[in-house]
Amino acid sequence: MYGYVRPDRGELKVRDYETFRGVYCGLCHRLRERYGPLARFAVNYDYTFLAMLLSGPEPADTCARRCPYHPLRRAVKCPAASPAMDLAADHTVILAYWKLRDGAADKPFLPSFVYRLLAALLRGAYVRASERCPGFASTAETELAALSALERDRCPTVDEPADRFARILRAAADGTEDPDRRRILRELLYHLGRIVYILDAADDLSDDLRDGSYNPLRYRFSLQDGRLSPEDEAELRLSLQHSHNRLAAAFGLLPETPYSPILKNTVFLGLPGVTQAVFSGEWKASKRQRKERKDHERSL
Amino acid sequence: MNDPYSVLGVAPSASDDEVKKAYRELARKYHPDNYHDNPLADLASEKMKEINEAYDTITKTREAGPSYGGGTAYQSQGYQQNYRQSYTGGGSAAYATIRNLINANQLDQAMTMLNGIQNHDAEWNYLMGSICWRRGWMDQAGRYFRTAASMEPGNVEYRNAVQYMNSGGQAYRPAGFAGTSMTSSDACSICNSLICADCCCEMMGGDLIPCC
Repeated sequence: MYGYVRPDRGELKVRDYETFRGVYCGLCHRLRERYGPLARFAVNYDYTFLAMLLSGPEPADTCARRCPYHPLRRAVKCPAASPAMDLAADHTVILAYWKLRDGAADKPFLPSFVYRLLAALLRGAYVRASERCPGFASTAETELAALSALERDRCPTVDEPADRFARILRAAADGTEDPDRRRILRELLYHLGRIVYILDAADDLSDDLRDGSYNPLRYRFSLQDGRLSPEDEAELRLSLQHSHNRLAAAFGLLPETPYSPILKNTVFLGLPGVTQAVFSGEWKASKRQRKERKDHERSL
Repeated sequence: MNDPYSVLGVAPSASDDEVKKAYRELARKYHPDNYHDNPLADLASEKMKEINEAYDTITKTREAGPSYGGGTAYQSQGYQQNYRQSYTGGGSAAYATIRNLINANQLDQAMTMLNGIQNHDAEWNYLMGSICWRRGWMDQAGRYFRTAASMEPGNVEYRNAVQYMNSGGQAYRPAGFAGTSMTSSDACSICNSLICADCCCEMMGGDLIPCC
């Protein structure tokens, strides 16, 4: 999805890093098995986190899998198929499809055509995924439509569009049977969704100002030279801090699982680190660097 | 009841000190301050009760020496939410009902009633802020609380809400993850780190800030 929800790798133990890699690769394999080779490209860190969060307390069975795109790399120990992995794969496909549709709507002709083409290719996978998770698919559709309406009306608050987005993530907990656990996960995922939406808005602010696209921060705060004023940035980050506290409070009520060290790292180091990088501009710079490196490799 | 040792996450062979340390860490985790006006406060309170009982059971069965006197330090009353009808006279009956609805987490109903009130006085703004806070609309919550406090600067409840918002609140950070925050490092985080360091020192028997 966006890749904001990731562990701070430098602070992970090597065995936890390997486990994390395994879940990421496992999700990618699961996407191919369930939805074909194209769906693989939708694999992301956010849903790797979700797969680990929804996993039960029992250690997962693992199987060694090779990556077809890195034939020289040795096989990675991936968790076997489980309800949590399947759900993460289904939700990834549903959101990827809507993200492509959304991209097609607000781009100029040529890029819009590419987005529409990709969306059409993913359509079959989307239909299958929404048959498996009808509740989630309809929530995603309704809330994204509401989000587009807010964007069209140039909604002047941050909380309202963030709320629509957060509700989508929250819906991932609806299938949890135990009512207490469901409440905890719903609260956790809601605040996670709010943080992701706001981080994305902050990251996109300069691009949106250039293109004239909607960005909630532009209408909520006063801007100086295409940036939030220091006071406004502090206020926005304070509101993120409160969301993070609520996320952490919910997280503390979940039982320990084999993935706990990775989840703890993601919540208490990864998210604050990514937030810092987004607001300092490092996040955008590193994204650009990765893209330039890729372009360079391609030109060679 | 569950096995008290597994509740505290220690082996039955753990030393008295290890049991005490595990208990303290869990008590810090589920402390009411971390669940300030939180929709999950009831679950945290249950957890606290569970670990208190487990700790009591262990200390009793071990026929503890004087170091265990006094029993458990934390009680579960601290989780009570702060939307009690603190108000005598002046406020309408509608506000009392809305406070009760917020307490019961019936936020949509509370919002509908509040939207039906024409006069947007300080209490109206405060309750709007409270609903936003519960929902997780943190930005709006701060704005409503500030409006309430500026309309009625003498009201302690409104002032406390603004102060809590501005302080950045509080959350448990597991051992080894202290000092990370979503805000940039500033004077506040220095204080927080000091308080954290103080807690750590106290756990080890020392003290950094003598008054707390």
